[in-house]
Amino acid sequence: MGKLDDVLELIKEGVRTSKEIAERLDLTVEEVDGIIKILESLGYVEKVEMSSSCQSCPLKKICPGSCIVFKGSLYELKKSDKKGT
Amino acid sequence: MVSCCSVEKVPEEKKESLKVIALAGNPNVGKTTIFNALTGLRQHVGNWPGVTVEKKEGIMKYREKEFLVVDLPGTYSLTANSIDELIARNFILSGNADVVVDIVDASCLMRNLFLTMEIFEMGVKKVVIALNKIDIARKRGVRFDVKKMEKILGVPVIPTNAKEGAGVEELKRVIANMAEGKITTNPVIPVYEEPIEREIEHISSLLRGTPLEEMYNIRWLAIKLLTRDQEVIKLVLNYLGPGKMDEILKHISELEVHYKRSLDIVIANQKYEFIDKLMHQFVIHFGEVKETFSDQIDRVLTHPAYGILGLLGVFYVLFKFVFTIGTPMQEFLDNTFASFGEFVAGFIGNEAVRGLIVEGVIGGVGSVLSFFPLVFLLFIAMSVLEDSGYMARAAVVMERIMRKFGLPGKSFIPMVLAFGCNVPAIMATRTLEDERDRILTMLINPLVPCSARMVVITFLAGAFFSDHKALMAVSIYAISLFLALLSALILGKFVIKGEESPFVIELPEYSLPSWKVAVVHSWERSKEFLRKAGTIILLGSVAIWYLSNYPEPIGSGLSYAEKLGKVFEPFTMLMGLDWKAAVSLIFGIIAKENVIATYGIIYGIGESEEALISLMQSAMTGLQAFVLALVTTLYIPCIATIGAIRAEGGNKWALVASAYNLMLASAVGVLVYNIGLLLGF
Ligand SMILES: Nc1nc2c(ncn2[C@@H]2O[C@H](COP(=O)(O)OP(=O)(O)O)[C@@H](O)[C@H]2O)c(=O)[nH]1
Ligand SMILES: [Mg+2]
Repeated sequence: MGKLDDVLELIKEGVRTSKEIAERLDLTVEEVDGIIKILESLGYVEKVEMSSSCQSCPLKKICPGSCIVFKGSLYELKKSDKKGT
Repeated sequence: MVSCCSVEKVPEEKKESLKVIALAGNPNVGKTTIFNALTGLRQHVGNWPGVTVEKKEGIMKYREKEFLVVDLPGTYSLTANSIDELIARNFILSGNADVVVDIVDASCLMRNLFLTMEIFEMGVKKVVIALNKIDIARKRGVRFDVKKMEKILGVPVIPTNAKEGAGVEELKRVIANMAEGKITTNPVIPVYEEPIEREIEHISSLLRGTPLEEMYNIRWLAIKLLTRDQEVIKLVLNYLGPGKMDEILKHISELEVHYKRSLDIVIANQKYEFIDKLMHQFVIHFGEVKETFSDQIDRVLTHPAYGILGLLGVFYVLFKFVFTIGTPMQEFLDNTFASFGEFVAGFIGNEAVRGLIVEGVIGGVGSVLSFFPLVFLLFIAMSVLEDSGYMARAAVVMERIMRKFGLPGKSFIPMVLAFGCNVPAIMATRTLEDERDRILTMLINPLVPCSARMVVITFLAGAFFSDHKALMAVSIYAISLFLALLSALILGKFVIKGEESPFVIELPEYSLPSWKVAVVHSWERSKEFLRKAGTIILLGSVAIWYLSNYPEPIGSGLSYAEKLGKVFEPFTMLMGLDWKAAVSLIFGIIAKENVIATYGIIYGIGESEEALISLMQSAMTGLQAFVLALVTTLYIPCIATIGAIRAEGGNKWALVASAYNLMLASAVGVLVYNIGLLLGF
């Protein structure tokens, strides 16, 4: 087991912010965020666009801006047969 | 930025003769900034062949010599999982680059060196590391022993602050010298655990002697095979044939059994650990790693209990801000519209036309438009919340609550979006995998007050609760949100929960919001409010005016509006709302702002603001106004929202949602009204 595994494991357990993961593993938040990015590029987690429905909203033309903008990102565990074993 | 203005193309013949410098690095490390600093205005933007990924090329000049600089897509590793990674990887693999400049972000070096190691593993020797954003790292209390770093990594390291241009000249010099072969390097290669190393050696022995050895780094191929990289498997299959490939794959499977998981993560872990050990030798942290201000705030704002109070507190402050600054402006506008109405009335002889224009159009649309300052301020406040990074915290708090109430965690996305508008919020339920979760979230979503209902709440709060406007507004929010959660709990009993894939949220650092962004953004949002006032509300106002004045004017008991309202009055009276409220609620289904327009017309806003308020106050008690605000928030969603539910979930659920909301609103209305009466309000 290594740090990447540890982070992945905590995500699976339901720890929901990189900050909490950092506290649990005694790492810095930057490091955990970095690990998540590496996990993303390895295909273990996937970024979910939180405000993407605003781009495809049928009212977009007449309603340019009622969309709430989240800063921050959400990464979801990828359900792939190869991974997750 | 200078990149916008030059499209000077590099002639093909010239390109051929130039040495090529490739810029690689993670996203957002400052690659483009360095690219611009190296090339100045001499650059060309196009696409990588066959794909729509931007390719930037430019000419760097150093001591009369020219070099072709290519900006590779930013990536975190060089797997074959995305187009960006493939482009960067293939470019480096092809050997087209004479020098690879690996730009790393000194403020988060760990993840950056992960890519560096992948580049080294490919067997690329001519690498220069630009240790960029050195200023940020210093501010965070991180120092680098650059000499040692160079020794350990085996390549030159140039600290840079690309934003200020610091270190760029030195970088140019080293690049030029390396391109001309004046610098030798010895990049460090990650070493893995024995079982992995043994297998790398085994696969390498099979690959040696094949034409692959001429073209690629054998160790790199072996490592990529271990991770089951599809591109590399295909490539090797061509040269080795299926027999040997099967043998390799068999070995890989055995190793996977040994490690109980795919080797890509095993190798990544070990690579990461390898880098961790290296870094300890040249990174110096000084000073305590103290809790940042951001951390301290978060301790409260994302706390399971205080977080909820924080959320309500933030909304309270938001309304307080809006009312304090906005109310005088709103009153001023309202009076202006009233005077304008009187002024216009003097020019129109025909009584019916005068009524339509003055009472219908100016009265109805005007009463909604007079809220423009409040709406604009609301949007400013929202924008500040977003820009500061608070919304992401609100999301975390909501997420935790949602899960407690049996909703899938990710339903916080549609729930938070609903504060803006329910339509994109309903569409965002698509991010939920499970059908039943989706329906459940869709059904309760309209209970979250959108910005249109915020206007109605603001209107009633302003008219009836002079001393406690913000408190009244926040309590409507609190009750609505509580009911949304309660509904989830109850409705959730009837659906079987689906599996949700776990996720993690990265919180942004808090940042001071930029006023410019806030104003521009709010203006965008307010325009929509104005447009709505000019279309839907205008039409609604004309209709309401007509129905209230024909066949006989209002008050006669004969107007259509009265008749319509009276049909519902026996029912609405249970919650203390008369026929006027009933009519306004009916029009509110089209767009919730019509509730205000209706009042504006029925009470004749031709009168001044004070007159309207005193008229309304004599007709309604504070309790009734509170109930009206609550019912407006909860009852049937607006037409656009019903449409969105229909599009996402079908007719059945659109109907169920409307019926459920109506029932809930009635029940709550009756309950709150009667409890309020009992309490003596
Ligand atoms: N403080 C600081 N900011 C930098 C530095 N280099 C780049 N930036 C900023 O980092 C951000 C990303 O830069 P960009 O060149 O677009 O990164 P790219 O995504 O790698 O191309 C921009 O806001 C730059 O102004 C640096 O050395 N110090
Ligand atoms: Mg860039």
